[in-house]
Amino acid sequence: MPILFPQKLFVRSRALLALAAVVGLGLSGCENKSTTPGDSSKPSGGSASTQDPVKVGVMGPYSGGSSPMGLSMRDGVRLAAEEINNAGGVLGGRKIELVERDDQATNERGAQVIQDLLNSQKVCAVLGPINTGVAQASYRYPQEAKVPYILNVTTGAWVNEHFKEYPDNYVFGLRANDNQQSELIAKEAIDKRGYKKVAILADETNYGQNGRALLEDALKKRSITPVYIGKFKIKDTDMTPQLQEARNNGAEAVLTYGIGPELAQIANGMEKLGWKVPIVGSWTLSMSNFIDAAGGNGNGAVMPQTFIQDKPPTPTGQQFVQNYVKKYNPANGRIPSPVSAAQGYDSMKILAEAINEAGSDDPKKLKTALENLQKPVEGAIAIYTKPFSADNHEAIKTEEINIGKVQDGHVVMETPAASSGGGANKPTGS
Amino acid sequence: MSDLPQLILSGVALGMIYALLAFGYNITFLTSRTLNFAQGEFLMLGALVAFSISVVHKHNYLLGIGGALLIGIVLAVILERTAIRPALRTKSDVSWILATTALGIIARNVAERVWGTDDYRFPSPLGNAPLSLAGGAVRVLPQELLIIGAAAVIMISFELFRRGTILGKAVTAVATDKDAAALQGINVALIITLSFVISSVIAAVAGVLVGPLTLVGAGMGILLGVKAFAAAIIGGLESGLGVVAGGLILGLCEQFTARFISTGYKDTPGFVLLILVLLLKPAGLFGKRSIKKV
Repeated sequence: MPILFPQKLFVRSRALLALAAVVGLGLSGCENKSTTPGDSSKPSGGSASTQDPVKVGVMGPYSGGSSPMGLSMRDGVRLAAEEINNAGGVLGGRKIELVERDDQATNERGAQVIQDLLNSQKVCAVLGPINTGVAQASYRYPQEAKVPYILNVTTGAWVNEHFKEYPDNYVFGLRANDNQQSELIAKEAIDKRGYKKVAILADETNYGQNGRALLEDALKKRSITPVYIGKFKIKDTDMTPQLQEARNNGAEAVLTYGIGPELAQIANGMEKLGWKVPIVGSWTLSMSNFIDAAGGNGNGAVMPQTFIQDKPPTPTGQQFVQNYVKKYNPANGRIPSPVSAAQGYDSMKILAEAINEAGSDDPKKLKTALENLQKPVEGAIAIYTKPFSADNHEAIKTEEINIGKVQDGHVVMETPAASSGGGANKPTGS
Repeated sequence: MSDLPQLILSGVALGMIYALLAFGYNITFLTSRTLNFAQGEFLMLGALVAFSISVVHKHNYLLGIGGALLIGIVLAVILERTAIRPALRTKSDVSWILATTALGIIARNVAERVWGTDDYRFPSPLGNAPLSLAGGAVRVLPQELLIIGAAAVIMISFELFRRGTILGKAVTAVATDKDAAALQGINVALIITLSFVISSVIAAVAGVLVGPLTLVGAGMGILLGVKAFAAAIIGGLESGLGVVAGGLILGLCEQFTARFISTGYKDTPGFVLLILVLLLKPAGLFGKRSIKKV
């Protein structure tokens, strides 16, 4: 019985329709439209009228494995911007307008997105991103356009390192950088807990490998060579070979540099092999997708934290947690990435203060204002007094960083920061 | 060397996941000479639908599998009607590649809208406590045993169906010669639809099986789909046994390289093997050399 063939034309058009749909879907969902329709043809010279909003770029991954950090950061920034706008805005009545862009955690996309923010949107500053590679692939553009770029989550990307190439450095950092984190990880594992044999497991991204190298240096300072160094890929689901090797070399602890889902596979893999040693690692062990996916196997993992939801160090921090939970209603009342949210919030607060002190949204004046902030800024993490200077663009001091621990689905305080709150200005770590 | 049994076991479990998906490629290739490049996405949708039913709404795991079966059938029919049938009718060698890939992208975008972009934990119905085998030398998750077992059952029963039933023989007939089969009164279109339904259902069920091991999320299908395709090419697209072997070879290769060479080179030998097979034995390790008459 031969098959009946209906008319060809109809079928062709159907296939075309499917393709058109793909293209459409591919394009939608990439861009988050800015909240207020602003005009992009305005020069950034600061000659705008009092009615025009001040545009601030916010870039981060709002999809993929890094999204808990990206979305928390964005919501933290939104919260701060909303508070500022409700209190009358900046520069005597101008509103902050956030221009949000998804960099999808990919380096190429990050470079595109920041050019869009700088060239078409003419933002006065950019907040973000999350991923080390994205920040490293995109810093060139704000440096050349001379627009402040405040790195509020990425821990691996350069900040003060830029001074060599760009004496007029436009990159600022509000994060516990990887120099500080690797030092604190080594301090916790070697100095405090007294392990002699440790294994390092790091993912193959810029973040993981940069962190792994710094971690090796921090261990070397303590005359420790890791008994095993393993690598894994994003989306790897089986860590058996790496864990076997670590176990066979007698590791007493596993030091990690990766992101949530794969870190969870490490914790789950340990349970499967029946080999349970402590996990000490970078701050990403506090990510909700690690805590949820590892379940009970994640208990006891410790990591550096600038902000712990249960123990906000400042009154502003307590208020911030309340407002965040009320506004965004996260599952189980837990901020997906409290560190990212708090740093996002603080970066916006500091930027707003700098805009007011500069008396303009001219990016060059903003940079000078950031370096010479007159009034202290009350943030969620600390009260920032002169967070930046002309030769130091890192806002967070090593002694302001806590050590947190995963316990039954939450991050709790393991060791509080040496100095709680701001004020201490002794540069250490990097 | 006491690590060896453990390593082999996790390699086999991983390989069986690849093999299941690769088996789906094999089924549709046999009947229609087309592949469903959205196979990985079908796996993802099966896993997420079952996740919603069994975990979010706390129904039985079996109900979750049922949901995955259903979504597999629906997807297969959509795919066959919109992508495969037009391609076969116009005798186009490229349109089905584009169309199935396109459907995969649509599926992923829809999943990102519905379930978001996060990865979720899918607790295993058999619990997460590992079992000790062979006097503690090997520790294995019950879910891994379930995957190995279920994959074997699915593949064996399809082979039995193909060899022992009238409908199965019709599948073989269509695979051998479409026109001759049509002349013998076999409804070729029906058989092709059937093969897509079977392959999609296998993919969706595979999603439910692997979910508890891999975490479930909209992005889970991409890598698995690619690996399974490599497994199918290594083993030979035309041979059911071949794709299983291909999956196992790839899974074991990955684990052994990671353990004994370097974790950084984990994927390299599998893909080197892929290139070697394409160079030396293009029909695959177990494939029969076919001469295409023009």
